[in-house]
Amino acid sequence: MGRSESWNASRRNVLKGVGMAAVGASLPPVGAALAQGTAPAAPKGPKLLEMEGKARLSVLGDKPLVAETQAELMDDSVTPTDKLFVRNNGQVPDITGDPKAWKIKIDGEVNTPLELTVGELMSRFPNVTYQLMLECGGNGRSFFSPEARGNQWTNGGAGCPQWTGVHLADVLKAAGLKSSAIYTGHYGADPTLAGETDKPSISRGMPIAKAMEEHTIIAFKLNGKDMPLIHGAPARLVVPGWAGSLSTKWLNRIWIRDKEHDGPGMGGFSYRLTKTPIVPGTKGDEKDTVILEAMPVRSVITFPADGTRLAAGTKKLDLRGQAWSGEADIKTVDISTDYGVSWKPAKVDPAPNKYAWQRFTAAVDLPSAGYYEVWAKATDAKGVTQPFVAGNWNPQGYGANPINRIRVLVAT
Amino acid sequence: MSQLNITHVVVISLTAVFLLVAMDRAGQLRGPQPTYVPPAKPAPLAAVDPEKGKPPPHNDTVEDMPAGKGREVTFYTCTACHGVALIKAQGLTRDLWDSSIDLMIEKHRMPPVKPAERAEILDYLAEQFPPRRRGRNTDNPFLK
Repeated sequence: MGRSESWNASRRNVLKGVGMAAVGASLPPVGAALAQGTAPAAPKGPKLLEMEGKARLSVLGDKPLVAETQAELMDDSVTPTDKLFVRNNGQVPDITGDPKAWKIKIDGEVNTPLELTVGELMSRFPNVTYQLMLECGGNGRSFFSPEARGNQWTNGGAGCPQWTGVHLADVLKAAGLKSSAIYTGHYGADPTLAGETDKPSISRGMPIAKAMEEHTIIAFKLNGKDMPLIHGAPARLVVPGWAGSLSTKWLNRIWIRDKEHDGPGMGGFSYRLTKTPIVPGTKGDEKDTVILEAMPVRSVITFPADGTRLAAGTKKLDLRGQAWSGEADIKTVDISTDYGVSWKPAKVDPAPNKYAWQRFTAAVDLPSAGYYEVWAKATDAKGVTQPFVAGNWNPQGYGANPINRIRVLVAT
Repeated sequence: MSQLNITHVVVISLTAVFLLVAMDRAGQLRGPQPTYVPPAKPAPLAAVDPEKGKPPPHNDTVEDMPAGKGREVTFYTCTACHGVALIKAQGLTRDLWDSSIDLMIEKHRMPPVKPAERAEILDYLAEQFPPRRRGRNTDNPFLK
């Protein structure tokens, strides 16, 4: 029995591997070939990342390097390191020497300011491993109309790999929080885009309660291996479920504040939603905004790819996807093939831990040949669901999480 | 002991069939097979130091931006920090381009520009990169 299970498992892996290769070959022009084996169309579409250790992600910008994971590459239950999206705010720092000697300072409203090396973090505090969502605050921005300012993410500024590190709470307890401690301010070693090293490229912070939440960690391993430089080695914060800019890479200081942090990325319209809804495309009022904290509920169909051609006679489509919500589990994912007239529930797997995405699967009926849109809509445990279109337009484009769709064509 | 039992016969027959099929390069015994189209060979990796794991270099030139009055001053002002790809991905109203320049000066230490230059940059950006996102079906994959 054990033998047949492992045979099945390896067979599944083989099939999965084949599937991924086919999907990969069909990139980038939204899906070419899946079922019929025709060659992908000429490379008209997003520029693909060419970088050692990284998959051919879709490049949104090269200075700073920003690359998103195509929906069909988000199909793994645990995001492999090469498929994890890349978001930089500044330049990638030069880091040499022993990573274990990398120092992180904890200062500000603490009884005992600390300067700990990564080696000390590893040996002094319990090491924990969780599968945690990392998602760019601007994920989904491209769904806004008109365009909002910034990198034009579809849904690919998100991934859910396994992170190993220490609870930030343990480190903060070791430093001893004063009663005046209400907020954090995070600093990394990345120079600004102009190359300045005397100011942070970005420095965001969070309320102490989120810092003390057990899944907020200082991570030094990614998927069980040394973290690549591009993902923040030697150490980074992982603040799951909240805007990714809090998960500071190349972390070298956490400043405990007695007020809301005011570093670059905390003011203006950065990581802020409007309080009073504004006319899309207008300037808005910076003072009438609220900080984006938890990310909104989202679903992404990861198989098949958008633009897949299905063989004549196809009557059923087995689809897969991932769904998540910043601070809540996913309760249901519903699928529609008739533009939202009727919905059928997908099967939703439980999360391995809080702040991990959840796999959904569904067998969808395709009653005839022709063109179909397949829509997915997730609802979280708080009852919050996805809107039909990206709403609450704001100048820098946060919170766009409309219903996900793929388009498929069943050959006649 | 050296007798052939049914297991031997099965094993020998199966081995023969496997060998025959394996050697059948022309595929005559296998019937029609799906055509395998190998994935396009990825372009060689850009010259980066793999030890450092840094992103590939990028080399934008003025010609990467659309021609128009103000292109040069816009290019040299913006690309001190930003890649051309990011600029070209924007589609903003004049108001929002104007506030974007404020944002860079006020929050991101962009050196202030002379009013005449600023006007030229703003004209260029507003003209070249206005809102242009249309209905949600303009990118239908089956219309290509």
